[in-house]
Amino acid sequence: MSEPLDIQGFTNRSLGWKSWLPTLDLAQANPEQVAVLEESHPQAKVSEYYLTLIHQPEVLRQRSLAFNAIMYAPGGLSRAERELASAVVSRVNQCVFCASVHAQRFEQLAKRNDVIAQVFSDPQTAGTTSRERAIVRFAIDLTLAPGEVGAGALRVLREEGLGDGEILDLVHAIAIFAWANRLMLNLGEPVWGA
Amino acid sequence: MNSPALPDLLTRLVLGETSPVRGLRQARAKITDATEGSYQALFAADLPGSLTLQERLLVAEYASQLTPQPELAAHYLERLQGFTAPEDSPRLKAILDFTRTLVLAPVEGDRQALTALLDAGLDTVDVVTLGQLIAFISYQVRLASGLKALEQLQ
Repeated sequence: MSEPLDIQGFTNRSLGWKSWLPTLDLAQANPEQVAVLEESHPQAKVSEYYLTLIHQPEVLRQRSLAFNAIMYAPGGLSRAERELASAVVSRVNQCVFCASVHAQRFEQLAKRNDVIAQVFSDPQTAGTTSRERAIVRFAIDLTLAPGEVGAGALRVLREEGLGDGEILDLVHAIAIFAWANRLMLNLGEPVWGA
Repeated sequence: MNSPALPDLLTRLVLGETSPVRGLRQARAKITDATEGSYQALFAADLPGSLTLQERLLVAEYASQLTPQPELAAHYLERLQGFTAPEDSPRLKAILDFTRTLVLAPVEGDRQALTALLDAGLDTVDVVTLGQLIAFISYQVRLASGLKALEQLQ
């Protein structure tokens, strides 16, 4: 991390997360649950988040397949721009934990955090280039008013050079954080100083 | 025995027969398959826990209406047609209150909101199911809107 950001209650520091529900005791996990945890995330077996979601293993399996394909698949929209969209959605939905994780990922990929500082302070005007501003605007609009997004919103992205495959990647990255933020916000809370 | 695969739900609901967007989604087949797999898993008849299929469909229909996403709202309403209308109960009220909060103001879905579900008789597994279900619908409606917009752009 080049410099710590602490803006409007959001941060790029590493936070912990604790569940409000009883987590599964790994010693009690059945083979299916162990397999799903291993497929989901390298740290899933020691994460309260995954040990909560594993109470419903097939749903977690499908969620993890979707999440990992959306965020890590090669080609298409750059991974940094996917992470930027994730950070914007998390900021707008006020998921402090998710915003911290994806601020860090953006910074690891892009080697800068200027746009993250802007997203934390005022997402509506954030973006260091017109392309970034278009991505940020679209992430806000699809998050807050999904029923109103139409072809006009996508034309702006096309004008900034995004191909249709990249636009679909962006839609996926925004939509999956409608999902991820709600789990993190509604099943537990961030822990500072972890 | 193989039968011709039916396209996934979102393709059937929002994309035309010859839409180029179908090809874009095939290029991201893992995502399309896991999106459909999530839908199938959340509405499986034998899903573990006490949330009935009717309760899950009621949540999905309400969440799609609130968004609003008309094709998905109509789809879940249609799937509800086979059920007799549910009786009002504290359990159903708690479930739908939680749905409204998570759809419209997720940051307000706090520990107190979760406790209300447990007080209404839901177990841990049911709260996980409900949280995943509402969160998935929040994803599904945005993907549907994005696909429709891409379709209009062609």
